[in-house]
Amino acid sequence: MLEIKNLHAKIAEGREILKGIDLAVKAGEVHAIMGPNGSGKSTLAGVLSGKPGYEVTEGSVTYLGKDLLALAADERAREGVFLAFQYPVEIPGVNNMYFLRAALNATRRQRGQPDLDAGQFLKAVRAKLKELEIGEDLLQRNVNVGFSGGEKKRNEIFQMAMLEPKLALLDETDSGLDIDALRIVSKGVNAQRAPDRAIIMITHYQRLLDYIEPDHVHVLSGGKIVMSGDKSLATELEKRGYAMLGDAAA
Amino acid sequence: MSAKPETAPYRAAFAPADSFAEKRREAFARFETLGFPTRRDEAWRFTNLRPLQDKAFAPAAGKPGTTPTLDPYFFAGETHRVVLVNGRFAPTLSKIDRLPQGVTLGAAAEIAGNNPSLASRLLDQTDLAGGQAFASLNAALFADGFVLALEPGVALETPVEIIHWGEAVDSSFHLRNLIQLGAGSRATIIESYAGSGRYWTNAVAVVDLGAGAALLHAKLQDEASDAIHFGQVRARIPADARYESFVLTLGGRLSRHDSFATFAGEQATCGLFGAYLLKGEQEATNATFVDHAVPKCTTDEVFKGVVDERAHGVFLGKITVRPQAQKTNANQLNKNLLLSARANVDTKPELEILADDVKCSHGATVGDLDESAMFYLAARGIPADEARRMLIEAFAADAIDRLEDAPALRVHLLAHVRRWLGRKD
Repeated sequence: MLEIKNLHAKIAEGREILKGIDLAVKAGEVHAIMGPNGSGKSTLAGVLSGKPGYEVTEGSVTYLGKDLLALAADERAREGVFLAFQYPVEIPGVNNMYFLRAALNATRRQRGQPDLDAGQFLKAVRAKLKELEIGEDLLQRNVNVGFSGGEKKRNEIFQMAMLEPKLALLDETDSGLDIDALRIVSKGVNAQRAPDRAIIMITHYQRLLDYIEPDHVHVLSGGKIVMSGDKSLATELEKRGYAMLGDAAA
Repeated sequence: MSAKPETAPYRAAFAPADSFAEKRREAFARFETLGFPTRRDEAWRFTNLRPLQDKAFAPAAGKPGTTPTLDPYFFAGETHRVVLVNGRFAPTLSKIDRLPQGVTLGAAAEIAGNNPSLASRLLDQTDLAGGQAFASLNAALFADGFVLALEPGVALETPVEIIHWGEAVDSSFHLRNLIQLGAGSRATIIESYAGSGRYWTNAVAVVDLGAGAALLHAKLQDEASDAIHFGQVRARIPADARYESFVLTLGGRLSRHDSFATFAGEQATCGLFGAYLLKGEQEATNATFVDHAVPKCTTDEVFKGVVDERAHGVFLGKITVRPQAQKTNANQLNKNLLLSARANVDTKPELEILADDVKCSHGATVGDLDESAMFYLAARGIPADEARRMLIEAFAADAIDRLEDAPALRVHLLAHVRRWLGRKD
């Protein structure tokens, strides 16, 4: 589904952050990318989702046979790439449901499906909210405005559930969550594991992996993937800390 | 003093013959002495009057032969409707046959012509400070306008809708309007200005409230793209009264709206809200002058501007708190979105506080669309132009939402913002 080859990227007019990433993700797989602060985790999420401010200097990213880097951020999203933000953005004055309906219909148009009318949309929304244990007051509120940290993350997972992406990038989804919120968010993500969907979790901590079990774990350090393995790698990291990377991190 | 040269073309058109003739002559003399404002006048320093100086706009002789399409301006739901075409009452397009007891609504020339008390109100205040030249010209040349008068204690639930349509080449329309609410009465009035061609609308509205009266006054300025629009509202707000206005500026090549509000009694409130959305070569000024002449009054002001392409938006906000006006509460905010490198905004919020026990704030910002919000919307698949429209609409809606008690009016104004944004939704 996703093939990253020798990806180099820098912050626009800044230093190089990614220094040759290779990663292959198949449909149905869940990958965890771990790494210490400053290793390039957020840059990788940014480059894959098309966030402005990064410049790819070398390498390629192929997504479902297409050159992902040639697509604008909104095109990527309509092609099924979903980024769950580490810091979901507050948008005053834009109603959550209005926003989500615009997003869903943009994606449906891309897939050749007709727009959902307000009634159909509301029905679909209510079902998902119930599944994710989110109160219906979310419908009336503006996008992320005044949400607690947990509410914001749940809103991300709710959007993911509504948009049904093919490739989901979860950027530090566990950050700022207490145990209860983490459990609900993880349950929501697990419910969305599917044979035709790949999930990449980017996380600093192993904690999230207790709730969402990955098929593969990669360790990012100094802009490169320095170790890959199964979930036992995460356990080992948790025990020994990122210091175990030793020279590989340099 | 001799007449200023730019006033000469209007002298030819000046032939007062009605019952207002004497007032008109005084007003015209004032206009000739004053001439047009210049950039040396502080309140006019950002307003480019070239389009008006390059060409004289003689008063329109009459109505066009065609029937205007007014549907886009109709307010949803029941209204009492007055339509003025080229500054003259259009009875066949109006709908004022179901007015409740105690409500007078119709053509200013006719109503005030037969009522000396209303006539003196209509023309009394021409020489208040600021923008007097155009107010004086208006008093001298007005053909008609509307009058809405409520007797004390009348609550008019059905909104009053006024549609001003202009359609004439190189002509001017001078509209004189009066809104008079007796003590304790209340009303909602929605004015729309629109038209076709190159013309100049010069409108003056006198708002005369009784104690405890409440007026909600909305204005949509959606004039033709070649048109010039000047509008002034002069409101006197006595004890316990409330004047709340919203000015939505969308149209016109050159436009200006001046609100003058003077408190005349304690515990009165004034809400001046507005939004201007400009593109192309449009130039629009919104100016507000609020005079806290008495204690314990409240002013709330929010204007939001969206300025695209080569357009120029101006906000001038002056709030004066006089020495005796203790316990004044006044807040003023102007925020602008600049959508192009060649668009520009001048904003001048100004508080002049001469009392010491007051709560006042003011602020102004000029910025771009929030990039992180744009990316968030993009990351959800929303195309850039749609995302842009969503954010602009939300920005303007923030001002519209200040009309807390008027949900239908909010919907109406937002629909016009969406129309401006080119959205069908």
